[in-house]
Amino acid sequence: MTEAKLKQVEIDVCGQICPSSLLTTLREVNNHKQPLRSGEIQLDILTDNSDSTNRIFEAVSNMGYMVEINEQKKHFRISISKRNRTEG
Amino acid sequence: MENQPIIIFFAFLLGIVSGVIMHRSDFCIAGMFRDLFLFRSSPLLRSLILLIACSMLLFEMARVAGLLNYSLPSSLYGLPSLTNLLGGTLFGVGMVLAGGCVVGTLYKLGSGSVPAVVSFFGLIVGSTFYAEFHPLWKQLSLATRLSTAASIPQLLDVQPTTIFITILAILGCFLFRWQTKGKMLRPNVVKGYLQPRTAALLLAIIGLLSFSLTGMPLGITTSYAKVGAYFEQLVAPGHMATLGYFQGRGFEYFSPLSNQVLTAGAGPFWDGLSLVQFPLIGGIVLGSGFSAVRMGKFKLHFNLPKPQLISALFGGILMGLASRMTPACNVWHLMGGLPLLSLQSILFTIGLFPGAWFGTRMLTRFVLRT
Repeated sequence: MTEAKLKQVEIDVCGQICPSSLLTTLREVNNHKQPLRSGEIQLDILTDNSDSTNRIFEAVSNMGYMVEINEQKKHFRISISKRNRTEG
Repeated sequence: MENQPIIIFFAFLLGIVSGVIMHRSDFCIAGMFRDLFLFRSSPLLRSLILLIACSMLLFEMARVAGLLNYSLPSSLYGLPSLTNLLGGTLFGVGMVLAGGCVVGTLYKLGSGSVPAVVSFFGLIVGSTFYAEFHPLWKQLSLATRLSTAASIPQLLDVQPTTIFITILAILGCFLFRWQTKGKMLRPNVVKGYLQPRTAALLLAIIGLLSFSLTGMPLGITTSYAKVGAYFEQLVAPGHMATLGYFQGRGFEYFSPLSNQVLTAGAGPFWDGLSLVQFPLIGGIVLGSGFSAVRMGKFKLHFNLPKPQLISALFGGILMGLASRMTPACNVWHLMGGLPLLSLQSILFTIGLFPGAWFGTRMLTRFVLRT
C-alpha cells in the first residue's frame, strides 16, 4: 500500500460540522504542498462522514494527488500522497 | 381523534425510511445552498431540483386522480407576505451556521453528530422564544401582505395544469441534459452510499404519501415550539399563560387517515400536530441512527473546536426563530409548497439564497478559518 519511508501526517476531523472536513483537508493539502509533491509525506485524513469522503476524494484527485480510501472500523481513512507517473 | 395508532405508526414509518435515505445519501439541503457560495458549484442542488420536479408531478397527478385534496390559500400555505422572504433569509443564515437544516439536524443527530445535538437545543430555544413577539410579528405579516393570490396559477389567473406542465417541461429539459451528461451521478468511493438522485425520487414519494394520507406535507418545526411550550409550562406556568401563541389551538387541517378535521398548534397539548410530527421526528432520528450503526459509523466525538459548537447553537436558534417567523421550515416549503407553486414558499426559497450567502461569509470568517 504505502512505502514505509513515507512520513505520515494525520488529521482527525471526525464529528466536525460540515463543511469543515473538506475545507480542513484543502487547507492541510496546501500547507503541506511541498513535502506532498516531492513525495516525502503522506497526509491521512480521518472522517466519519461519507459525503465528505466522496467530496475529498473528488477534489483532491482533481488537484493531481493520489487518493486512497480505507474504510476502518469507526471512520474512513483518506490517504493523500504524490501520484506516480505511471498511474497518470 | 380517530385512528390515532394508525397515524402514529404511519408517520413513524415515514420518518424511519426518510432517516435511512437521508443518512445514506447525505441529503443535506443546507449544504446544497452553502456550496453554491462556498465552492461556486453545488452538484447536489441538482438532486433537490429533481426532488421538487418529482413532487410537483406526483402532487398534480394525485390531485387529478382525486387522491390528493388541497386548495390554496389554506391553513398549510397562506397568502404571501414580506415576512416569508425575511423568514427565508434568516433561515438560510441559520442552516449554514448550524451545518444542516432542521431535518438535516435530525438525521445528523441520529448518526451521532454532537454539533447536531447542540443545534437541536438551539432550535427548541429559538422556536419557543418566538412566542414572546408573536403578536407583533403577526401584525407585520398582515401589514406586508403582497397579494390576495396564494399561488402562481392564481396570480396569473391561468389553469394550474397549464402552468405545471410548462414548468415541468422546463425542469425536465434541464434534468434530462444533466442526466445524459452524467451530472446527476456523484462520484462514490463509499460502501452503502445512496446516490442523491435516487434519494430525491424516494423522498418525493414519501412526501406524497405524507401529504395525501396524513393531510400535511412533511414538516416538523412547530413541534419544536411545542416541546419548548411543554417545558415552559413546567418551569414558568405564570408567564406561559400570558403567551397567546401557546394558548391558541393553532390551525385546522383535514386528516384523511383520521377522516376528520384536526387542530394543530404549538401549545403544550396533544393534538393533530404532535400526532404526526412527534413520531416523524422520532422516526428520522432512529432511522438515521440505525443506518449509521449498520455502516459502523456511529460514534460520538466530543473533542470538537469550540467555534463549531457555538456556530451550531447560534444557527439552531436562528433556524428556530425563522421557522416560526416564515412560518415553517425548508422541507415544508421546498418539498411541499414549492411543488404546489405557493407564493409563500417561493418567497421563502428566494430568501434562502441571500441568507445562505451571508451564513457562508460568517462561517468562513468566524468559524472555519481557512
